[in-house]
Amino acid sequence: MIVPGERTALFAEGLLAAQGELLQCASWDDIWQYALSLSEDRPALSPAAYDHIGQGDLPDANDPLRSIADRAVGVTEAQLAIAETGTVLLIEPAPIDRAVSLLTKHLIVGVAERDILDDLADGFRWLARQPRAAAYATFVTGPSRTADIERSLTIGVQGPSRLTVAVLA
Amino acid sequence: MSASTAPFRERYARSVGDPELKPRLLAFQRSWRESRDAQVRRLERRTERSFDELRRDFAAIKDSTLERMDDYIAEFRANAEAAGATVVELSTADDAVSYIAKICKSRGIDLVVKSKSMVSEEIELNHELEQRGITAIETDLGEWLLQLAEERPSHLVMPAIHQKRQYVAEILGEELGREFDPDDIPAMVASARDGLRRHYLSAGAGLTGANALVAETGSIMVVTNEGNMRLATSLPDLHFVTAGIEKLIPSWADAERQLQLLPRSATAQTLSTYTTCITGAQPGKEMHIILLDNGRRAMRETDTIGDALRCIRCGACANVCPPYQIVGGHTFGHIYTGAIGLVNTTFHHGVEEAAGPQGLCVSCGACQTVCPVDIPLPKQILEVRHRAHEEGHAPLWERIALRLWASPRLFHHLMGLAAAGSGLARLIGLVQRDHLRLPLPRRLRWRSIPAVPLRNGRTLVGSRAPQFTLADSPAAGRTVELFAQCLADRLLPTAVDSAARLIEAGGAAVNVPQSQHCCGLPAFDAGDWNTARRMAKQTIEALEGSEYEIVTPAPSCVISMQDHWPRLFNDEPEWLDRAAAVSERVHDLADWLDGPGRLADGCLSVGSSNAWTAHRFCQASNRNDAGARIDQLVERLTGETARPLEEPDVCCGFGGLTSLAAPEVGAGILERKLACVSETGCDTLVTNNPGCVIHLRAGANASGASHQTLHYADFLAARLPRNP
Repeated sequence: MIVPGERTALFAEGLLAAQGELLQCASWDDIWQYALSLSEDRPALSPAAYDHIGQGDLPDANDPLRSIADRAVGVTEAQLAIAETGTVLLIEPAPIDRAVSLLTKHLIVGVAERDILDDLADGFRWLARQPRAAAYATFVTGPSRTADIERSLTIGVQGPSRLTVAVLA
Repeated sequence: MSASTAPFRERYARSVGDPELKPRLLAFQRSWRESRDAQVRRLERRTERSFDELRRDFAAIKDSTLERMDDYIAEFRANAEAAGATVVELSTADDAVSYIAKICKSRGIDLVVKSKSMVSEEIELNHELEQRGITAIETDLGEWLLQLAEERPSHLVMPAIHQKRQYVAEILGEELGREFDPDDIPAMVASARDGLRRHYLSAGAGLTGANALVAETGSIMVVTNEGNMRLATSLPDLHFVTAGIEKLIPSWADAERQLQLLPRSATAQTLSTYTTCITGAQPGKEMHIILLDNGRRAMRETDTIGDALRCIRCGACANVCPPYQIVGGHTFGHIYTGAIGLVNTTFHHGVEEAAGPQGLCVSCGACQTVCPVDIPLPKQILEVRHRAHEEGHAPLWERIALRLWASPRLFHHLMGLAAAGSGLARLIGLVQRDHLRLPLPRRLRWRSIPAVPLRNGRTLVGSRAPQFTLADSPAAGRTVELFAQCLADRLLPTAVDSAARLIEAGGAAVNVPQSQHCCGLPAFDAGDWNTARRMAKQTIEALEGSEYEIVTPAPSCVISMQDHWPRLFNDEPEWLDRAAAVSERVHDLADWLDGPGRLADGCLSVGSSNAWTAHRFCQASNRNDAGARIDQLVERLTGETARPLEEPDVCCGFGGLTSLAAPEVGAGILERKLACVSETGCDTLVTNNPGCVIHLRAGANASGASHQTLHYADFLAARLPRNP
C-alpha cells in the first residue's frame, strides 16, 4: 500500500516518463482557466467534463467526431488513474464521450487525487467490477506516439500530441 | 514481385546485399536490449518476483486456457453476444476473408480502415478483399507505409523497420503528391494524420486485431501507441475483429498479467499509450468478432509445438536473434517473422513457405531467454526443421555431407586425406598461422580454411606420459572416459589433449575409447534425425562399455546427449534407456573442473598475465548452464582477470551447418563478435565450444586480427606445472 502523497508522486513520475505533463489543481475551474490560457480556440469538452465546468463546446451530438476534429484544446475526465504507470482510465461508451480524447491536439484530463490507484492490477480489478465501463474503456499513458520511421520516437500521431493530467486535490 | 514476397533465395540475396540493413538492425537490437532489460529489472523489483517466475505464471494461464479452449470460446461467445456482438469461429483464411467480404457487400461497404492486426496479415486480407472489389486501408503508420510499398511486415511490432527514411519520403511523396525532406521525420509522421483522415471519414467499417479476448466478459483488449485503433473503432458504424483462437484468456486479472509482460517485451515500454477494452457492439453499431483457427488446433495437438500458441506477438524473439540482425524479417520468416515465424508458418502457411529460412537459425537459444511466455522456440525450430527435412527440403550437399559424416570409417579416411593434404600444403608454404592460403570464392573469403593436423586428439593423449597430479584432488584414483568430439579430435587435437591433462592434474586417470566418433548433433541440427539416430547409437555403443564418468571439452555434445537423444529415441524404449545410461555419466569439462574433478583456486596461477577475454558458447549460456561461464572458471584457476567482453553470450556465427548453408549470416554474426573482441584490446580470446574456437579462429585469421583464439583447456593447460 502506498500512502496518498507518495502515490501522486509516483503517478507524476510515470506520467512524465511517458512524456505527459502534470498539473495540480484545486478545482475544475482551475482546469478551465488553464485550458483557456492555451489557445484562442475555444476548448472542446467531453460531456463528463462539461458536467463539472458548465461552459465550453460540447461535441455535436449528431456528428460528434467531425464537429471537434483538430480542436486545439480538449478537456475530459478520467474515472481513475494508476500510480505505477502514470496512466489514466477513460470510460467512453459512446462516440460523443470519445470525440475530445480522440481528436483534440492538446488533451487535458482531470482526475481526482483520491482516485489514483496503486497499480494496474487495481485498475483491472475496478474494471472487472464495472461491466458497463468495459463497453469502451481506455487506459491512456502519455500522448500518442510512433517510432515506425527508422525507430525515431515521434510524439503526436493520430491522437493528441500533448497530454496534461490535471490532478484535483 | 516485391522484396518481401519473392521466393526465399531471392529474398535472402536481397537482404544480404543491403549494406544498411545490418547496422540498422544491430543498433535496434542493442538499444531494445538495454531498455527492455531495464524495464524487466524494474518489474522484478516492484513485484519481488523474477522474470522467470512471472513468465511461467502467465504461461501456465495460457496453457490451461488452451487446454480448455472450447469452454472458453463458448464463454467468450455467450458474453460477447449478450453485449450485442456477433461471434463467428472460422477454420481457414479463406473462410475469414469470405465472411468479411460477404458482410461488407451486404452492407454496401467498399472501404475498410484497418488498425494493426497480424491475423489480417496472416490471411492476406488486403489483397484478398481487393480481389473482391473492397479496399482496405492500413492506418497504423508502419503498416500504411508497407501497404504503399506493397510489402509485408518485417517485424511483428515494428513492421517497417527495414525501410529507410529516404524511401519513406519517396513513397509518402508519391501517395500524397508533395515533397518530403527525408530528415524531417516529424513532418512525415504528421502527414499520416492528414493523409489517413479522409479514409476514416468515408470508411464503412473499421477492422482491428485483439491482443487478448477476455472470456469472462466477452471483451477484446487492444494495445496500441498511435491512436488509430480508437479512430477506426469510433468513426465507422461496423467493427470487425480478427483474432486467433489462442488469444483467449479467462479474466481481466489475466489481462493485467499479460500487460506486465507485453509492452515491456515488445517496445520496452512500461505500458503502451493506449490499452483499449471493448465489450460488445456500441449503440447503433455492429461488431463482428472472427475467431480464426487456420492451423491453430493442429498446432495444439502437435507434440512439442503446442506451446507456441502461448505467443503474445511481442517480437522479442527477433530482437535478440543474431541471424535476424543480418537478414531482417523478410528473409527470417514468412508473414510471421523471427523465431516464432520459423515455427508457426508451417501451420498457417505450409511447410513449403516455412522451409527456406529454417537453415538460418543458429540454434543459439537466445529467443527463449527473452520470450515472455517461455516458449521453447529452439526446440520447436528443430522440430520444424526435421519436418522440412522429411518432406525433402534439405539441400543435396547437406545430405551428402551428413552421409559422409555419419560413417566413422569414411570420416576418418577423409580427414586422413585432408591431414595429408594440409601437410603437403605446409611443405610448400601454403599454410600460415595454421590455416590454408587458398583462393576462395568472394562469399567465403571471410573465413580461412583450417589446416588439418597430422595427429588427432585421441592419438595425442595416448602418446605422452600422464600429467603430474596437483595436490589435494578430489578425483584422485578415479578413471574418466574422454569424449573428444569429432571436430575437436581432428581440428583441435591440442584442446583434446589439454582437457585430458587437466583431468589428470585433478588426479583421475583418462581413458579414451577409440571407437568414438560423433554424437549425431550435426545431423540432428539439420533435421536429418535418421542419420542422427545412427550416429548416436554408434556413440552409445562406444561409451557404454564402462561405468566411468565421461568428460568432454565440447558442451555442445553434452547438450546433444542430454536434450536431443531423448527426442531421437522417443519411439525406441531400449535405446532410450541405453542413451540415458550414457548421458547421465556425461560432464562438460568446465563442470568437471568445478565439480567432481575440482582444481583448487589459483592452482594454475603463473604470476604473468595475458590480456584475455572470453566468449561463452551461446547455447550453453542461454540454457543457463553453470559451466558456460568459463571466464569465471579461468579466473578462479589462474587468478588472471578477464577483460569484459560486450555481448559475451551472443552467438559467434558458427551455428552448426548455418555458416555453410548461409555464409553471409555466419560472416555477419562473426563480424559483430570480432568487433566486440577487438574493442577489448586483448591478445587472447578464450572460448569453450570447439566449433566456436574453429570458427572464431578462422574468421580472425581471414580478417587479419592479431589476437589468438584458444579453447580454454589449452589456455589452462599451458599453465600446468611441468612433469617432474
